[in-house]
Amino acid sequence: MAFTGNFMCTSFKKELMTATHNFTNSTGNTFKISLYDNSASFTAATTAYTSTNEITGTGYSAGGGTLVNVTPTSSGTTGYTDFSDFTWSTATITARGALIYNDTASGDPTVVVLDFLSDKTSTAGDFKIVFPTDDASNAIIRIA
Amino acid sequence: MFISGMNGSAGAVLVETTQKRGFTAEELALSCAAKIISVASNADPVIRQQAEAFKSTIEQVVLMYLKQTAKSERTTIYNLVLDAGEMALAEQIRRL
Repeated sequence: MAFTGNFMCTSFKKELMTATHNFTNSTGNTFKISLYDNSASFTAATTAYTSTNEITGTGYSAGGGTLVNVTPTSSGTTGYTDFSDFTWSTATITARGALIYNDTASGDPTVVVLDFLSDKTSTAGDFKIVFPTDDASNAIIRIA
Repeated sequence: MFISGMNGSAGAVLVETTQKRGFTAEELALSCAAKIISVASNADPVIRQQAEAFKSTIEQVVLMYLKQTAKSERTTIYNLVLDAGEMALAEQIRRL
């Protein structure tokens, strides 16, 4: 039972074809990021947010934090989207990985699984998620 | 026969943490510049050099404004605390 890498959820790929998700800035759906300890075992088969193995700690609330969407764009044959970096401030927490999920859609369907590769800890400090460069080669969500 | 293929990928995030403090203006300026300007590792050396120089300039400009923001925020907090009658605490904030 552990994180084993970054995954784009298979259910998310299917849901793209049923117009379940809208990543448009301001007018799109609300996406959240929730943190987990290494007892969680998420894979591409993960389909929805769960509170099982979600971390607890000062400055962190169950369900995680609300992300700011970056309106999707494309380059060449790749479509991609991004989120603004997210920070839990004055937080005392330890997490090994995260889920990004759609809080607007019914059932809180997952988008991606993120593996931090090791436990990350903040002590009465900031815990910041830095998303990769928003381009066709690095963006957090890419469809080629 | 036409076959359509789709390959979906999830990028990797970076996690930055601090212990008993927030991020400094320098750390935030570095993150900000990296977010604004990305230089490909396989870029032409001359273009890469120019881009890195521009990135450094952006970082310094952002740093200056972040520091100014912190000072202005402190001034606002100083006055709020002073108005609340906490003169000693207000003075400590002013000296930060």
